[in-house]
Amino acid sequence: MKTARFGWLTAALVAAGALCVVFPLFWMAVTSLKTVPEIQRLPLQVFPDRWSNLDNYREVFQRQPFGRFLLNSALVASVAALSSAVVSSLAGYGFAKFRFPGHAVFFFGIVGILMVPFQSVVVPLYLWINRLGLLDTYPGILAPDLVSVFGVFLMRQAIEVVPSDYVDAARIDGASEFGIFWRVILPAVKPAIATLVIVKFMWTWNELFWPLVVVNSPTMKVVTLGLVSFTNMYFIEYNLVTAAAVVSVLPILAVFLACQKWIVRGVVMSGLKG
Amino acid sequence: MRGVRTVAVTAVVAMALAAPSSWAQPKKLVFWTHWEQNPEFNKFYETRGKDFGQKTGYEVQVVTVPYQGYEAKYLAALMGKSGAPDIFMGMTHHWCGQYDFCDKMPADLARTWDENLPKYMLNVGKWKGTRYGIPIEHGNFQQMYIDTELFKKAGLDPDKPPKTLDDWLAAMKKLTVLDAKGEPTQVGFALRHKGHPVGITDKFLPFAHAFGARMLSPNLEKATGFANSAEMVAALQFYSDLVNKHKVASTAFPTPEDAFGQKRAATIFRESWFFGWVKKNAPDVAFKVYALPCGKTCPGAGNLFPWTNMVAKSSPHKQAAWDFMKFISNAKDDLDQHQAQGILPVWTANLDSAYVKSRPDYQSTQEMLRQPVPPEYYHPKSNELATAFGEAVVAALYGKGQPKPLLDEAAAKMDRILRD
Amino acid sequence: MDRQRRAGLLFVLPAVVYFGGVFLVPLVESVIGSFYRTVPGGLSQFVGTRLYVKVLTDPTFWQAVGNTLSLLVMSVPVTVVVALAVALGLHRLRSLEARSAWAAMYFLPFSVSLVAAALVWQWIYDPVYGVLNHALAGLGVPPLKWLQSLDLVRPSLAAVNVWARLGFDTMIFLAALQAIPAEYYEAAAIDGASAWQALRRITLPLLNPQIVMVAILELIFNFKIFDTVYATTQGGPAGASQTVIMLLYDTAFKYFRLGDASVMAVFVFVSLLLVTLLQWRLFRRQVEY
Repeated sequence: MKTARFGWLTAALVAAGALCVVFPLFWMAVTSLKTVPEIQRLPLQVFPDRWSNLDNYREVFQRQPFGRFLLNSALVASVAALSSAVVSSLAGYGFAKFRFPGHAVFFFGIVGILMVPFQSVVVPLYLWINRLGLLDTYPGILAPDLVSVFGVFLMRQAIEVVPSDYVDAARIDGASEFGIFWRVILPAVKPAIATLVIVKFMWTWNELFWPLVVVNSPTMKVVTLGLVSFTNMYFIEYNLVTAAAVVSVLPILAVFLACQKWIVRGVVMSGLKG
Repeated sequence: MRGVRTVAVTAVVAMALAAPSSWAQPKKLVFWTHWEQNPEFNKFYETRGKDFGQKTGYEVQVVTVPYQGYEAKYLAALMGKSGAPDIFMGMTHHWCGQYDFCDKMPADLARTWDENLPKYMLNVGKWKGTRYGIPIEHGNFQQMYIDTELFKKAGLDPDKPPKTLDDWLAAMKKLTVLDAKGEPTQVGFALRHKGHPVGITDKFLPFAHAFGARMLSPNLEKATGFANSAEMVAALQFYSDLVNKHKVASTAFPTPEDAFGQKRAATIFRESWFFGWVKKNAPDVAFKVYALPCGKTCPGAGNLFPWTNMVAKSSPHKQAAWDFMKFISNAKDDLDQHQAQGILPVWTANLDSAYVKSRPDYQSTQEMLRQPVPPEYYHPKSNELATAFGEAVVAALYGKGQPKPLLDEAAAKMDRILRD
Repeated sequence: MDRQRRAGLLFVLPAVVYFGGVFLVPLVESVIGSFYRTVPGGLSQFVGTRLYVKVLTDPTFWQAVGNTLSLLVMSVPVTVVVALAVALGLHRLRSLEARSAWAAMYFLPFSVSLVAAALVWQWIYDPVYGVLNHALAGLGVPPLKWLQSLDLVRPSLAAVNVWARLGFDTMIFLAALQAIPAEYYEAAAIDGASAWQALRRITLPLLNPQIVMVAILELIFNFKIFDTVYATTQGGPAGASQTVIMLLYDTAFKYFRLGDASVMAVFVFVSLLLVTLLQWRLFRRQVEY
């Protein structure tokens, strides 16, 4: 096959691309180990003077309860990811395999939410959260994040591909609708669910604007708010921002690496072919 | 699936436990500020709040809000009333002028402040003659910082700074070093050319005022004839010539603070907080602070961002809030608080204190305060007006047009905004 | 049939109720707000369609729209095509570990908060201290002004966008590619098809739903771009990078003209809805199994 000849070329290009893509993150990590004079030294110096220089990290945790921020973000992002996975799967199944009155309206209505700039609903939404007494609370922070539009989109996509024969066969066997969902559909779309969980976790983790508006107490702040506190009206403290960014990426990486196995393994074992 | 259920239950329990409880705590006055870069200053409110709490049962809780996005947070909270702070830091003409969120200051407190503020700050915190807020920042007018080493290297005497714009320009030329391709490696002036146009306007105004121009009419109702006056055109021409003709400033340089800190710019016009920044981030830069050079007139102590502390009208603890403000409205608190952060105190009585006398900008501040007060632009639409104006300034700096047509366009736009 | 209809409705109900409850009311309030104007003092005054006329005849607004479109054109096709290419390349790798490892690297930018990423990129793009100019100098290219240049600011921002979103799309494509049965390709090989033909006839059509979905999502997200611009150029220099959402934010929260901002929001919503419907209709094809 002709493809074998280009095999190594492909691999090389993919690898080169990956390195380019990772470079800014490498730059971020390396900057977090430098002092301010080092960052601004010319001619440009790539590596820090001391690889063991953790002063920036120390200052990040000293200035604010950054550990608490990490916990808050972890809690919020986990709940959001979980609830999204559940509700989006249900909705995705409904949209993919059923016809009911309002099908198109509901679907496009939901996708339409994505098209609304959040900045224009933030004040009305805040006023409602306020009326409900949920300001500065976890439910308040979670309010706009419990279900993901992208999740509905993705799950619908993934479930559409599941052959309807399987569903029909299960129905003939007398399974309940929910039973079919649980036993036939969900196992078949594990990679998609894993993708959704990762993506939603990351998205919620990195959200800035809503937490900014709804959080007041230092103990309720999330990681992004902590990060942004190293920039202000006058200047940006690059050494601290990068350190904080590195700290905030590590948990996500952990989640990602954990879920990634699911995706790969799930595909190999899904046995959906043919 | 067991695992999932356990996680979910744990999450719910954790959330319930972690929800902040609001019973059995001393009463708190909530104070919002976006001055994240001044933590000592902010902590002072809490420290003094404890003293105040012993007398009245009300303590003070300071909430720092990120500057990026603070307007949205303030607006939502003040509209929502029950989630609003009791005291907040912002600009009076926005929150008390454009909106009606502020409580009027009690007459006796207002009198105290009117009697103790430097004359150029009297209108800061006032809207239509009524005082709503307490100015917190003195010395947020620009002054000239010079790098003494670079001055000496260029053959200039750092103890005899240029006093007129012409002298200043001549000095800038001497301080600029060009490379083989004619591009500057070191500039005389650290120029602010990026970021929001409002900031650009803020940095250009001293030049405008030095040329005798003003952005709006004295009653702040008209822009045409002022924003595009002959004096303003001359000022913008001078400013853009710095970049495009004399090359003593550059739009390819990083932020002005970094440029100065890296000794790639010999002068910068910055406010009084700047030398604290230099001492911390660029400790090897030897500098001196002087009054801004004058043109037809002297730029004087002007600023576009009059930060003040205001009390929210909807606050159920209004009275206590004002009592706290009264509690710290005296020369000693003013001095202690500002000294803790290394910024200039506000009370005139403190302007001759030992602390202020020991600052590098003592003489220059005195000199600038002796100059006539420059125009103020405390208008509810100041952001939008300054943005329209700033876009013209940036366009000129980037060579995207000539000053006169750019300013004409900006003035027309500003009038449309004013008329709206 | 009835049981199925009811079941379908019940399945989508939680999502519909949630979105309706959380977003519908604020959305309606925001749209209603587009007919009101805030007067000094903070009261709202009904002005009918006056704000629509004002915003839609404002050259600044259309400049922002133009900037946004220009960013879109530079970001969306590149992201989709490159993501597809990378996914195809990753799929070629035989070893699953290698595939996972490289895929993870492409996905990493997605895990960093946009604000942090934007700030790091701003530093990379810095004309004096930036590593990009430093590297280009090694190749003999004179330093460029990137985010501080009227011409380069939008392409520079577009590059940041592509960088941030590439991994996400790659992952979606890769997952879809891995679901295509190998037998299809084997059958095609037996029939003598070349790799290119296999791509055109098998891969792309089967990937069509994902390509459409990714294109729509990229369009929507790039249209709504805010964090990257806000953290770096703030719309500058001279408005060259001011996108519609940046203008919306400034109009709402710096100029305190909530009504005008709502008009812009309606404009964004309607535009995106129309374009999405068009994309959906034109490009979505039924796939046979």
